[in-house]
Amino acid sequence: MTAPPITELIDAGTVQGIADEVWVAMLGEDEFLVPLPAELPTETVSAWVSVSGPWNGAVVLTCAPATAEELTRFVLQAHPPELLENGDVTDAFGELANVLGGNVKSLLPGPSKLGLPEVGTTPSAGSPVDTCRVDAVWRGHPLSITVQGAAAPVHPERNEVPL
Amino acid sequence: MTLTATSFDYVRQLVHRESAIVLQPGKEYLVEARLMPIAQKLGLAGVSELVETVRKRPDPASTRRIVEALTTNETSWFRDGDPFTALTSTVLPQLTAARGANETIQIWSAASSSGQEPYTIAMLLRDAMPTASSRVRITATDLSREMVERTRAGRFSQLEVNRGLPAPMLVRHFTRAGSEWEISPELRRMVTASECNLAAPLPRMGPFDVVYLRNVLIYFDLATKQAILGRVKQLMRPDGWLFLGAAETTLGIDNTWERVVVGRSSAYRPLKGV
Amino acid sequence: MRALVIDDSRAMRRIVGGILAGFGFEVEQAGDGQQALDAMHAGFVPDLACIDWNMPVMDGLQYVSAVRSNPAWRSVTLMMVTTESEHGQIVRALAAGAHEYLIKPFTADAIGDKLSLLGLLPTEVTA
Repeated sequence: MTAPPITELIDAGTVQGIADEVWVAMLGEDEFLVPLPAELPTETVSAWVSVSGPWNGAVVLTCAPATAEELTRFVLQAHPPELLENGDVTDAFGELANVLGGNVKSLLPGPSKLGLPEVGTTPSAGSPVDTCRVDAVWRGHPLSITVQGAAAPVHPERNEVPL
Repeated sequence: MTLTATSFDYVRQLVHRESAIVLQPGKEYLVEARLMPIAQKLGLAGVSELVETVRKRPDPASTRRIVEALTTNETSWFRDGDPFTALTSTVLPQLTAARGANETIQIWSAASSSGQEPYTIAMLLRDAMPTASSRVRITATDLSREMVERTRAGRFSQLEVNRGLPAPMLVRHFTRAGSEWEISPELRRMVTASECNLAAPLPRMGPFDVVYLRNVLIYFDLATKQAILGRVKQLMRPDGWLFLGAAETTLGIDNTWERVVVGRSSAYRPLKGV
Repeated sequence: MRALVIDDSRAMRRIVGGILAGFGFEVEQAGDGQQALDAMHAGFVPDLACIDWNMPVMDGLQYVSAVRSNPAWRSVTLMMVTTESEHGQIVRALAAGAHEYLIKPFTADAIGDKLSLLGLLPTEVTA
C-alpha cells in the first residue's frame, strides 16, 4: 500500500497549526511562530523523526545551532539544569521534532510508525512534490519545518533515515 | 511596530470595560501576539495601527474581536467536577421522578464558552443515564458569537481535549477531524447554542430545570449581579436548581434563593413564596 | 505520593517530573520501560506512572502490559504521556490497561486536570 505524495495529504496551514500548539505548550503561552519566510543561515542543525507506513519520510525541524540552544532554554525554562550541556540541546531539540512528528503522523493515512528522534546535519530535502514546508520566524530567529518524503532508495535496506 | 503606551492603555481600558478583566502592565507582548492576526486580516501594518483605527472610530465588531482575542482562556471539561457529579447523582433522578414521563427536562449552560460545559453535561447523561438523556435538552449560550459557532461545530483542538477530558470519554464520543477532535453528531444534537448577553434583558427561553451559571457573576458589580440572578430566576422552574462557580454565592446579593448541599457541591434553589 | 516518570527524553522527564513535584509528588525517573520495571522490582512502586510510548529497549505499551500482569502492582495508576495521538492508539493503550492518556504537547494545567480526574491531587480544593 502506497500513499499519495505528502502535498495531497496535508497542507502548510495544518503543519503551522500543529507547530503553533507545540510552541505555546512547550515554550510558553506567549510564544508563537510568525509565518514569514526568512532565509536560514548557512550553518544549520536539524532534528527529525522518521514516519513509516503507507507514507514514508520524516518530519524535520531546522534552524541555526544558536536557535536550537535558545529553543532548549525555553523548553527547559521552568526546570532548567544548572548548565546547558550539549546533550541537553540534542535531547530537547529532538523532543520538539518528536512532538511535531507525532502530531503530523496522526493526520496521515495509518497505521504508521514513528522513529526515535535524531539530531544532526540537516538532511537533504526530499522531492519537491513530496515535501510540505513551513518557514517561520520565532523571536527573530528563522526556522523551517518540513514534512518530506524519503528520497528514492539507492540502498533500500538503509532507507529509514532521510537521505 | 512596538505598541505605544497610549495604545496599550486604551486596550487595557477597553478590555476592563467590556469584560471586567484587568490586563497588568508588562502584558504588552501578549497584546501584540494576540492582536497581530486581527491586524493582518484587516490589512493593517501592525497592532498600533489597529488600536489607533479603533480608537478614532470605534465600531462594535472590531472592539468585540479585540476583547475576545485578549480574554479567551482555555477551559477544562470536568473543571471543578462536583457540580456535574451532583447532576447525575441527585438532581436528575429527582427531576425525572417529579416530571411526567413525556416532559422534557431543560438544562441551561449560561456562559458556555467554546462548549466544554454543555458537552460535558451531554456526555455524562449519555453515559450514566442513557434512558433519561433522550428527554433532556441542553441550551448553551455565550456572549461571543465566535464561541457560539465553535460550540455548534463541536470541534476542539488537541490542547483543549487535554484539559480534563477523561480519555475513555474522548475515545467514546470523539473522532479525529484533521488536527482537531469532533464530538459525535448524537451529542451535538442534544445541545442548542445561541448568543446571549446576561447583562441585558434575556430572550424567551426555558423554562429551565437546571442552570449552570459558573464563574460569571464574579465579573460584575453588585447591581448587575442582582439583575442577572433575577432574570435567570424568571426563566427557571420553581423547583429548579442553579449551580454557581466554586467561589460564587447568592448570599449577600439576592436573598430569594436557598442554598442546598448536593454531594460535595452546593446548589441554589428559588425560595418558595418570595 | 510517589510518581515514576518514564521517557527517553531527559528534557521531558525534567518537565513532567518538575510539574509533579510541584503537586507534591516524590518523583523518580526512568529512561525506558525496562529501567522503570527495574526500579519497581527494586522497591520503588509509585502511585502514578507517567509513560511515554516510543522508547528504546522497552516501549510504553509493553511496560503497561507488564505492570498490569503483576497483581502486586494493581494499585499503580498508569497515564500515557505521548505524542501518539491517533484515536486507535489511545484505544490500544486503554485496552492494555492505561487509566489516562495525555497527548504531547500539554500544559502544566493539563497535568493538574488529569491528576484531579484520577483523584491524585493531594490538595484538592472543594467548594
